[in-house]
Amino acid sequence: MRYMFADAPRATLTACYWAFLLYLLLPLTLMMAMSFKDANFIAFPIGEWTLDWYVKVMQDKQFLEACLYSIMIAAAATVSATVLGTWIAMLIVAEGIRGRVVIFALACLPAVVPGMISAISLRIFVSAIDMPTGTAAIILGHTVHAVPFVVVMALTRLRTMPGNLVDAARDLGADSVVAFFRVTLPYLGPALFGGMIFCVLLSIDDFVRTFFLGGYRPTLPMLIFAKVQGGMSPEINAMATLVLVVTAAVGLYAEFMTRRARTR
Amino acid sequence: MSSILKPTRRTALKLLGGSAAALAAPHVIRSAWAAGGVLNVTTYDKFLPQEFLDKFQKDTGIEVRVRLTDDQGKQYNLLTAEGANPSTDICTVAGHRYSQFIASKLLQPLDTGRIANWKNLNTAYQDAPWARVDGNLWGLPVLSGYEGLARNVDQVKDAPSWEIMFDPQYKAQTSYIVSDFLTIAMQYLGHDGDFVSYEGKPEVAQKAVNEARDLLIKHKDMVRKYYDAASEVQQMFVNEDIYLAHSWSGAAAKLIMDGHPIQVSVPKEGTFGFCYTLNVVNNAPNAENAYKLLDAILASPEVGAAMTRQSGYSSTINGVGDLLNEREKLALTLPQEEVERIVFFSSVNRDMKNEMIDRATTEVKAA
Amino acid sequence: MVSTNTTAGYPAGREASVPKYSTGIAKVVNSALYRYTLGAVVETRIGRIILLAGVPLIWLVMLHVGPIYQMLKISLTSHYPVLPGVESHFTLDNYAIFFRESLYFTPLIRSFIFATIATAATLVVVYPVAYYVAKIVRPEGRSKALLLLLVPFWAGELIRTFSVIMLLANRGAVNVLLREIGLIDRPIPMLYTSFSLGFGLVYLICLYMLLPLYSAIEKIPSPLLDAAADLGAGPFTRFRRIVLPLSRDGIVSGCSLVFLTCIGVFATPMLLGGPNTVLFPETISGFFHGASDKWPVGAAFALIMLVTALITAAIFMRLVGGKKRSAF
Repeated sequence: MRYMFADAPRATLTACYWAFLLYLLLPLTLMMAMSFKDANFIAFPIGEWTLDWYVKVMQDKQFLEACLYSIMIAAAATVSATVLGTWIAMLIVAEGIRGRVVIFALACLPAVVPGMISAISLRIFVSAIDMPTGTAAIILGHTVHAVPFVVVMALTRLRTMPGNLVDAARDLGADSVVAFFRVTLPYLGPALFGGMIFCVLLSIDDFVRTFFLGGYRPTLPMLIFAKVQGGMSPEINAMATLVLVVTAAVGLYAEFMTRRARTR
Repeated sequence: MSSILKPTRRTALKLLGGSAAALAAPHVIRSAWAAGGVLNVTTYDKFLPQEFLDKFQKDTGIEVRVRLTDDQGKQYNLLTAEGANPSTDICTVAGHRYSQFIASKLLQPLDTGRIANWKNLNTAYQDAPWARVDGNLWGLPVLSGYEGLARNVDQVKDAPSWEIMFDPQYKAQTSYIVSDFLTIAMQYLGHDGDFVSYEGKPEVAQKAVNEARDLLIKHKDMVRKYYDAASEVQQMFVNEDIYLAHSWSGAAAKLIMDGHPIQVSVPKEGTFGFCYTLNVVNNAPNAENAYKLLDAILASPEVGAAMTRQSGYSSTINGVGDLLNEREKLALTLPQEEVERIVFFSSVNRDMKNEMIDRATTEVKAA
Repeated sequence: MVSTNTTAGYPAGREASVPKYSTGIAKVVNSALYRYTLGAVVETRIGRIILLAGVPLIWLVMLHVGPIYQMLKISLTSHYPVLPGVESHFTLDNYAIFFRESLYFTPLIRSFIFATIATAATLVVVYPVAYYVAKIVRPEGRSKALLLLLVPFWAGELIRTFSVIMLLANRGAVNVLLREIGLIDRPIPMLYTSFSLGFGLVYLICLYMLLPLYSAIEKIPSPLLDAAADLGAGPFTRFRRIVLPLSRDGIVSGCSLVFLTCIGVFATPMLLGGPNTVLFPETISGFFHGASDKWPVGAAFALIMLVTALITAAIFMRLVGGKKRSAF
């Protein structure tokens, strides 16, 4: 009897997971199917199928350049936002710090400001410090936007981190910096992984800040938004499908490699 | 000496900006290579075909950098935020924003004497009354369109009047841009939706606006969605979420070109017309090059054709019609009697119009 | 962990205390360069404070407050940008507009209610999933299970919004399917309603809940749960007494992320809403997008939203986060 009760939640949770996965993937499957439609607008029924959109997208130099540029910006913004976000989170949980709530609120500010307003104020700010628009300004803008997400993520683990871990490290003679890199950082691992995912997603989804802070080299979202303006064509779906397939493949490959490295 | 040791807040800020500038330097250097300088253009996707740009760059030595935009608000806000140091030389302005860009001092007057091919512009647009503001022309008209009544012809046979947008038969099957449709509703009620005749008569104008507002609020159940972007209204038609909509002609024409059962017409109460213009930005760093590009566009009908295909609006440039296929031409054609119902947006009394329409828009949405 | 607490101080003979590390970090830590620069800084209390607080505070003040300060300045002027021939002066009027009539108040309230519901819904939907991945899946399968959930998010917000449209539209997948099997003969209007807005919002935003929850649940020691089970605690008791309290940080973080983004940032879900679901960010963007641009009023409204949203989030954290955790 007891086993049955023990197993019931397990089965329910498994069902929850798969149902949720279906919820996430189903609309996307439709989106992917539409990329094969032979017409200028996406709609059911698909009717004629074609691979032309993929041929077109693969030959589109602008699309490939935009992808590379987006990856570059996302990588730079992710690294800087993760470092800064972790640092701010460390400050928030540090002992003897007054005004935590204020620091935390300041850290969260950029997450609450609507995109357009944030973009305008960043643009004015960038002129105020005589910084030219372009790649550096875009990275700065994306970093500002992503930092709150890293802070919040880091706090999911930092606040309940067993303090004795760090104390033990220090008793063994590690100085504060060493203790951070050897004890705290590894403990933060999963949280920072999540934070970094947020950084990348926020960066590759951002249109309005990029438009205001640079924009003569289109990033992927700029290209997609500009294309949607001319009508939701299967070409856009083909682009998104390619991005999805490649990222999924890279993700799975990386996961496979790390697992193999670990089991060795 | 002490001024060196004690950096002010301002210099500290500039130092920060300076170090960031060093990071961005490679990009700056790259642009300086181009012999004929650079030209920064903000426009829509596919408006300037790559072949045309390649040829222009080869002929002139000017490096053209294109920033893609997707709506007017972003362009306006960016130029406003940049103030006296714009990062763009040419912007693409839609008709209903034309006078707003001018009033905000974002554009410079257009010197048609510097455009050798000005004669290639359709004569109707060379010196149109709507285009002349404060005694100057402010942009090169490239596309013309109007606010039409679009319908799914399988479901709605005929739509001679805007009345049909309030017909209970099509309950929850219509859609419109609130601010635009308010002015149309004013026309429908027999008022002046463009506010030209209301100059100096705010009470009369307010009364007319309130009537239109109350009409829209009363018939809110007719509406499936208030939309903003052309892609939204297109998708709603394609998905049969709506059968009727107030739509800019380009959005509907693109559906027609793609073979969807859509028609767009001008009902008997009339509607408004407008042009998309390419404009040289006030204080543009490369105004000289901007004029060269405008001239080249007028000399190359294929640019006009690309713009028409991408946007669904008619070109104002001579010779473009010959490059379009039958289906594209058909999508752009209106019967003569309907063409005559189109009135171009004026540039008179804009402040009153904007103020009152904006407020009524918020009220309709919040109701 | 950099801390101002000096209880774990250093013995007098610090040379003797230089530890022997087994990895590459030893090279760095034992190098002269490190010991006389960063190492020396960490030795002193003031050095540690500067190291801990310096960069974060500069960043926060410059780049989080800086741009918002620009907005604040604009919100207190009568005209912006200032055109030649127009006088701009200091005014509080832009804020007064908000309180003067209910016109702008309604969308704000609607926004808060909506964000609260969306947050609660996301929490309920996502919690079991996060728990499943963090505790039920075997450790070696975890990253794969997580990865699968992440895949859809790489398509981008706009594409995912349009894919929801393709699902729910009158000629979308659901209606087409129902018509094919003969359950209905007229499409059910699902799109452009509160339902589609909620559906889409959860769809777009659930990751902000999933990752914090996962990160919090993952750290709960499994032996603790096993021990509780051995002592006869049923699944419900274990959940209430162990899992829930220990994942509280994740709940707080996830809810605040979802709530704050729901209220302020998300523009795309509005593509899914109907005529009766106009929210506050749309009202604000009206001031920036509308024909007569009124930046000062828009800026003032944005700040009102900012402050109320942050206060709400702070109150929520204090309620749920509990006093013991002292951080808030």
